[in-house]
Amino acid sequence: MSGLEKIEYKPVPAREILLEMKNLSELMIDLAYSAALFNDNELAEDVLELEKRVDTLAYHLEIIIMIAARDAKDAEALTSVSTVASAADKISDAAADIAAIVTQKIGVHPIVSEIFEKVEERLVKVQVHETSVLVGKQLSELKLAPRIGVDIIAIRRNKDWTLNPKKTEQIQNNDFLIARGAPQGIKEFRELAEGKQRELED
Amino acid sequence: MTDSRQKQFEEIVEKFVELKNTSELMMDLAYSSLLLDSKYLAEEVQRLEEYVDKLHTEFELLVLSSKFEKEEARGLLGLIRLGVVTEKIADAAAEIAEVVLRGIEPHPILKLTIEEAEETVTHVQVTKNSSLVDKTLREAKIPEETGMWILAIKKGDKCIRPKPDSKIQAGDTLIASGYAEGEDDLKKIAAP
Repeated sequence: MSGLEKIEYKPVPAREILLEMKNLSELMIDLAYSAALFNDNELAEDVLELEKRVDTLAYHLEIIIMIAARDAKDAEALTSVSTVASAADKISDAAADIAAIVTQKIGVHPIVSEIFEKVEERLVKVQVHETSVLVGKQLSELKLAPRIGVDIIAIRRNKDWTLNPKKTEQIQNNDFLIARGAPQGIKEFRELAEGKQRELED
Repeated sequence: MTDSRQKQFEEIVEKFVELKNTSELMMDLAYSSLLLDSKYLAEEVQRLEEYVDKLHTEFELLVLSSKFEKEEARGLLGLIRLGVVTEKIADAAAEIAEVVLRGIEPHPILKLTIEEAEETVTHVQVTKNSSLVDKTLREAKIPEETGMWILAIKKGDKCIRPKPDSKIQAGDTLIASGYAEGEDDLKKIAAP
């Protein structure tokens, strides 16, 4: 199979890899449910791409764990790390299974989405247009949560993902923003990002 | 779509939402069980895993008994697959909890990964005479009063992830974490 990253040892702290695996797997589940319930092919493709990333991370972590075990006691303690890593990996696989419902065009009955939207918040992915008021702003300046009840939970810039972005993160033209919120807030957020709405009301 | 049909779908979605939320709550509880080395939480995760199995069966039976039209079959297949995924997530959570139940000491790396400052976990059943009865979590202001953070609310077999408008009822068990000093304060207001 092509397109798979070659695995070579990288001296990265195990903590960093595990944290990324855990955060990615959680984001993927949210993205995948939204992809399936709102039949969003683009979100589904993102999930499948992130799944490959988690797989690669799992290999790297395994190598590091093997190197870190110097004796039986180390090995015992490290099983807790490998179990959590394997759980994160399984969750990312589960997210990919959800995404496949969309990419294989099985879909979920539209009435389900309609009812679901009433009871649960949804995620959206929007691309920031150059005319948007969001461009050049830090997340802390926007105060989206108190204003319209929307949280930006991830930013995709070219091929790079920033999960749980910091308050000082600056939004740039062409960024993809992944946000969570109630339907009305999401609608407003989309208009802000696309430059259709130019004002952020208090 | 007829009203009865709409109602049928609502019932299916309701079951699915419970499956989804329970499986996600389990992940939170499983990570917390590991971080706090809490057998109580780990056992709760294992119990919920069985509960999810039961719920999943009920969900599948509901879908299968919905007498769908031929053209609806695909949409319902998608729904069945979503259900399967919630069960996989529940299984992954149970595996994490198993580390605690097998007496493996969580590696320090995990404490650095699961960033939460809590040091203890406690649970208390709300008695009838508690001031919390019939209040929403928003009104109850438990973190402000006790320094304890509610991880989950157990209602019979169900376990729900706390939301600001979740209502506390007599007989509910509050599962909370925080600094050890808050434990007594929580018990005083929940079971005076």
